[in-house]
Order: sequence, then C-alpha cells, then structure tokens
Amino acid sequence: MDFAFNPGQEFATARLILKAILLSLLGIFHLIAFIAARRWHRARYFRKLSERTLALRSQWNGIIDGTVCPRTWRLNRLDCELVEAMLLDSMEAANAEQLPGLLACLRSSGLLDLRIHQARSAVGWRQRSALVALGRTRALEAVAALNEALDSPATETRIAAARGLGRTGLPQAAVAILDHLLSGGLPIPEYTVKNGLANCCRHSPQTLLPYLKDADGPARTIVARVLAELATPALGEDLIVLATDGDAEVRASAARAMGASQASFALPELSVLVRDQEWFVRLRAVVALSSIQEPGRIRPLLHALCDSNRHVRQRAACALSQMGSHLEQILYQVVDTQDSYALQAFVSELERTGATERLLEVLHKSGDSAAAAQILLQAIANSRKELSKSVELSAAAAGGR
Amino acid sequence: MRRLLQLSNDTLFIYYLSSNFIYLILLITAIFRNNWHQHRLTGLRLERLKSSPFTPPISLIVPAHNEEKCIIDSVRSLLKLDYPALELVIVNDGSNDHTLSELQHEFQLRTASLLYIPQIASARVRALYRSAVEPRLLVVDKDSGGSKADAVNAGINAAGSPYLCVIDADSILEPDALLRIMAVVLSDPQKIVAAGGIVRILNGCEVSEGRLCRVRLPQRNLEIMQVIEYLRAFLIGREGWAYFNALPIISGAFGVFRTDLVRQIGGYRRHAIGEDFDLVVRMHRYLQEQRREYQINFVPDPTCWTEAPADLRSLARQRARWHKGLLDTLWPNRDTLARSRYGRLGCLILPYMWIFEFFAPVIELAGYSTILAAAILGVLGRQFLILFLLFGYAFATLISIGSVLLEEMTYRRYSSWREVARLLLFCLFEHFPYRQMTLLWRLQGIWQYLRGDLVWREMKRSGLSDTARASFQAHPGGR
Repeated sequence: MDFAFNPGQEFATARLILKAILLSLLGIFHLIAFIAARRWHRARYFRKLSERTLALRSQWNGIIDGTVCPRTWRLNRLDCELVEAMLLDSMEAANAEQLPGLLACLRSSGLLDLRIHQARSAVGWRQRSALVALGRTRALEAVAALNEALDSPATETRIAAARGLGRTGLPQAAVAILDHLLSGGLPIPEYTVKNGLANCCRHSPQTLLPYLKDADGPARTIVARVLAELATPALGEDLIVLATDGDAEVRASAARAMGASQASFALPELSVLVRDQEWFVRLRAVVALSSIQEPGRIRPLLHALCDSNRHVRQRAACALSQMGSHLEQILYQVVDTQDSYALQAFVSELERTGATERLLEVLHKSGDSAAAAQILLQAIANSRKELSKSVELSAAAAGGR
Repeated sequence: MRRLLQLSNDTLFIYYLSSNFIYLILLITAIFRNNWHQHRLTGLRLERLKSSPFTPPISLIVPAHNEEKCIIDSVRSLLKLDYPALELVIVNDGSNDHTLSELQHEFQLRTASLLYIPQIASARVRALYRSAVEPRLLVVDKDSGGSKADAVNAGINAAGSPYLCVIDADSILEPDALLRIMAVVLSDPQKIVAAGGIVRILNGCEVSEGRLCRVRLPQRNLEIMQVIEYLRAFLIGREGWAYFNALPIISGAFGVFRTDLVRQIGGYRRHAIGEDFDLVVRMHRYLQEQRREYQINFVPDPTCWTEAPADLRSLARQRARWHKGLLDTLWPNRDTLARSRYGRLGCLILPYMWIFEFFAPVIELAGYSTILAAAILGVLGRQFLILFLLFGYAFATLISIGSVLLEEMTYRRYSSWREVARLLLFCLFEHFPYRQMTLLWRLQGIWQYLRGDLVWREMKRSGLSDTARASFQAHPGGR
C-alpha cells in the first residue's frame, strides 16, 4: 500500500506527480486556447455566412430559374450549403404552384442527385443528414433511396429514413413504410412511424385500409391509430368493422376515427363503444360523441356520466354541459340516475362553463321543475361553499401571520 | 504513528486519483455525448413534435407553498410553454398566504367534483378546482404535509397524463423545454422511463412576467462559483453518468417521469430530505427487481432556470441539506450495495455515491489533517506535499474548464467574451476557499443527520433583477 509516501519511492512518485501537473497545466492551456480560437472562428464564420447569404439572396430569382449558372455557387461549399438550405426552407413553405420551380432548380443543379448519392453511400451523421434533407425535397425520386435506408443496421439511420419518408408527404413513401412495418422489419420508435405515416397519408387515408386488414399485433395498432387521426366520412363501413375489433387499441382508434369523420352513421357504433370494457375505449367514444352534432348522443353520454372512470365521467359531463338547448332535460335525466358522482360532475362542468345561471333561469320559468332546481341549487351551494371555505381558511391564516 | 500516517496518506492518494480518473472519464464521455446530441438535434424539427397528434400529454405538477407573489406569473408562464397537450396541476400545499385566493381571482376557479383517488399517500386534500377560463389548469388544495414530496404526491394522484413533469413554482422553464425533453423520451418510450433536463442559475438574469428575457452571469462571486458547479455537475456529471445508464439523480427542479411507474413505486417518499434523489434510486431499485430493461436519461438542452442562494448562510443550509438528503437515501438502500441482483444500482451508482459523494468530505478533511501532520513530522517531504496539492488544484481546474468548454461547444448561453472570461477566471479560484467551505457544510449536514436534526430551514431569496419577481419564497426541495 505504501508506495506513494515511502521515502524510498517518494522521488519516483514526485516525478510522476510533476508530470501529471505539467499535463494538467498543458490541458488547461489547450482548453482555454481552444475556447478562444473557437469563438474567434465562429465569429468569422458567421460574418462570412451573413455576407454570402446577402449575396445569394440578391440573385435568388436567377438561381431558381437557372439564369445564374449553377457552377457559380454549386462548387463553393459554403454557397452550396446556403442555397440548399434556402431552397429546402422555401419548399416547406411553397404552394403547389411554386414547388415545381424549386424542385427543378434542385434537379438541374445536381443537388438532388448529390443528396441521393450521399444517402446511399455516406455513413453516420452525414448519411442521416442527407436522408432528412432528401425528405424535405418532397421529390418522388428520393423515395427509393429513403426506402433502402430503412434496412440500415443503425437505428439512428432507420429513424432518419422514416423521418425523411414522412417529410416527403407522398403516398408512395407511406407504402414504403407500411411494407416494412408489416413485414416486421421496422425496429424504430412507434412515434416516428406514426408521424411519418400520418404525414404521407393525410390526403389519402384509404391507403392505410388494405394494410390494416392484413396487419396484426403492434403493426395493426399503429396503422389503426394513424387511421384514427386521418379518417373521413368516405371511409364509412370500414370504420364500423373496426369498432368490433378484438384489439382494444383498434376499437379506441375506431372511436377516434368516427369522431374525426363526423359521420352520422357512427352514432350506433359509438353508443356500443361507450359500454366497452376498456376505459380508454369508452373515453375515446365519449370524446367522439361530443364532436358529433346528433341529438341521439344524449343517452350514451348520460350512460358515460355514470361511468366508474373519472376521466370518462368528466368528458361526458363536459359534452353534456355544452348542449345549451337541452340542459333542462339533461338535468332531469341526471337526477334520475340517482348517481351523486354523475350529478356532481355535471354540476361542476355547468359551473365551470358558466351555464348554471342560464339553466337556473330556465328552471324558474318552467313551473313543474321545483325539485330539480332545488337539487341543482343544493349541489351548486355545496361546491361554492367548499371553495369559499378553503379561500377563507388561507386568508385567515395569511391575516394571522 | 508514522506507519498510520503513511497508510492514511496512501489511501488518500489512491482515493484522490480514482476520483479524478472517474471525473476525467465522465468529461470525455460527456464531450462525445453532447456532440452526438447536437448532431441528433439537427435532424429533428421541434415544431413537428408540437403539431403531431401523437405527442403524449404531460401533467406539469407545481407544488406551491406560500407563493402568492410569484404564483400568477409562474402559472401564466407555464401555460405559455410550447407543448401540444399540457395539463397544469398546481398543488397549494397548505399555504398560509393568499396563494389560493390569487389563483381563484386570476383564473376564476370553480370547485371540481372529480373523483380523487389517493393512490399515493399525502396530507388531506381539501378540494380540487378547475378554471373557468383555462381548461388546462387544475388546482389541488391540500393541508400542508410539511414537505415538497407530500405536495407532489397529491399532484400525482390528480394527474391524468401518461407523463408527469415536476417543477418548482419559483423556477422558469424555457418555452421549448418540454418539447426538447420529450423528443428524447419519445425516441424510445418503452425503455426511457424518466429524463432530467439541465438546471441553470437564474441569479443575474433578467426576468419579466415569469419569462426569462436575458441570460447574464451573476455579479456576486459566490453565485458565479455556483454557476461553475452547476455546469460541472450537469454537463459533465449527469451527462457522463447517463451514458452509462447510471444516472443517480434527476433534479427536483425539472424532470419528466412515466406516471404509471411513479405510481407503482408509491410516488415520492413523503418525509425524504432529498426527495428527487430518493425517487430516482427507488426507480432504479424497482426496475432492477423487476428485471426490466430501462433507461433514466439526461437531456442537456431543455433548460430550467432556478435561483441559487446568494448569501453564505443560505448556501450553507442548502449544502448541509443536500448532504443530509444523500445519507437519508443511501442508508435505507444499503441492502442493495454490491448485490448483483440490483445491477448498476448496487454495483455502480450506490458504491460511487457512498465512497465519492457521501464520504468525500470526511476523507478530504482527514486527508488535509494527515498530510499536514505527515509533512510536519517529516514522514512526507514538504516539496512532495506542495506538488501533491498543486496537482489537486491543476486537475480540478482542468475539469472545471472542461465544463466551460462543453457549455461553449454546445449551448453558449453566456455569449459575451467578458462573461466567458469571467467564468474561466473563476475556475482558477474555485478551489480555495470555496471548496473547503462546502466541505465544512457537508460535514455539518452529516452531523445534523446523525443528531436527528431533520428540520427544513428557510433559505433567503434575494429577488432577481429590477424586472424580476419581487421576492421568492423557497419551497423545500429544489436541488
């Protein structure tokens, strides 16, 4: 043990420590020098960047329509990076008329080919950056290179490829993702897959339907979830079939989709789903019911108001409290349920949305509603008493400080 | 005697070398990891995360105890955070000022008869309130439980989202902090069960209406020392440990957790002194017992700004409390030490915390005494003593400058040359006498814990700037 402080070895150890000190001092010097040099270099780089951006912007129209020869900027690394960034930013904000011109510039300058080449042959961050940039081009010829990268052994590369495919927004890109997903070969986070599919299928959700029929397990849940976000009334019967699916996640997605589609045919199916055994399916059904403007939704919502799950109850109460012209009738029905939680949830939503006074006025006008009005008033008084008691308590404590 | 001194000095030498070696590894790891994170960010568009319908909701839990002066600004600032699905749960923890009435007046609170299931124990909940003007706001009014942990537990019971984020009412989150932290969580939601962001020092910055307007270095020396400490602890320490998937702590000021997991482990320990450290250790323990594959992550760019003690007395209390909290968590988990069943918790995290965190002040003090005694008695040459002290100083300075380099390479919050120069200058002076003072405060913490003195002592908050909130009331916690 006593190697360091044994007088015999002390000299050797001291030499070692001296070396360590010198190394540390050298390290300190290098770190400080690096920080200073980096700051100086950055300041210079950004100054140059600003100058070149201004210069390129001043000839932007010429660059786009090709009157400024691509050779003037394409072979300079900084200029090339700047033009590409500006082009991709413009493409994201471009409308259908502007897009072809920007894409043509990308093609004629060879930038698109360069990125496709990098996506196929580069490795690491360079490849990933090329994949994401390719996605932003929204060019059809980018899909093949992106599709190939989905088979990469590196997770980060697969993620970049899926993001890239999503950013193209093309149905062909969705097919690439779906083919990989269904063949079980897309081990990347669900979140990325869902976002990619949603972007690509936004204008053609029916692309998902044949895949949903063939899929099983987690892939089926993912496709159903995406479909739920994009559903339109045109999907009709297909959504109804999903409402009876054996997978609770798919049923929840079907409920969400029926809400998104705003279709009247959905009401009977949603009335069944509010009685589902899984609470999140019931919750989705209630949320969907609250977005469908059909008088027939009151009965299933009343059933949901007596649900054992507080989230379901609260959403049902929220939906019911917003049915202005039916509030009086709903109040009677809520009282008839003899469920105090349901009544409290409904009253608290009325209070929150400010509908209480309006309802009380209606109740006072109609002669035969004394009992219901009494119950409502009592419930409101109780809740208000609680609030004022809490505030008084803390105010009293504050006063006594 | 001489033999004893030799043995002690040798032990100290090995201890010191090991400690520095570990920090060097953490520094190198942190540089690579930060670089990787920067690359990753370039391919990620936060606005897409914001507009995605698949981004999961988060319940933001804010315990508030006597926060009448800042609560409205805090709530307004939190409601403005860039996140698509946010539920804000304010827990009024038995405040005896006007915190609740301020909230009631500003946000038109109405009692909400939501069914509150006290799955995790906390002091009695008096009522739940929802706002007539802000549907995302839920206020839980409860009796004071005497700790931040108790208040957060009530918030967890009321939270309805799959993820929860706990922040202090007197802290400021950057607008995109939640998006940035969730971008990492969602990169592997099955495995990543919790993630912490970086906490930085608000002193000296300009704040208006609960939002950070301008980042500046504080003026006082004591505060700048803490800036360097925080940079080192977060950008090197946590980043490095996270690489080895052995992150021992997520700051109580800002962290995101999976709600189901927090509920499964029974929430925060109500009377824990360092409740944030305790929660993460129990999470590791539970997940190791369940043999689950998991990650507790650190994300270096979502930033939470918090006020640091500006006077010696408050700083002493904070550091003593942190050390008490350390022991308060290490001791109940001593049965996991060196047991393979507990994997990285039993074999890496807790041994490190015992040896290089908990015993550090004791060993350092013993080291100073024995080295000095050995030099006086001639066991150790004076030149050797000076060399050894010089090495300690030079190496520690190197690590501190490394943290400034990391800040410079990545996030550059202190942008002017002058501020960076000041930071570098303070790296040179940090090790005397600041380091020795923290050593004494940590020893004080051990002594207080052994005596059973677990009382929370109020920290003095100085206020932040002319435009900042007038004053802060500290809430227990906030490491």
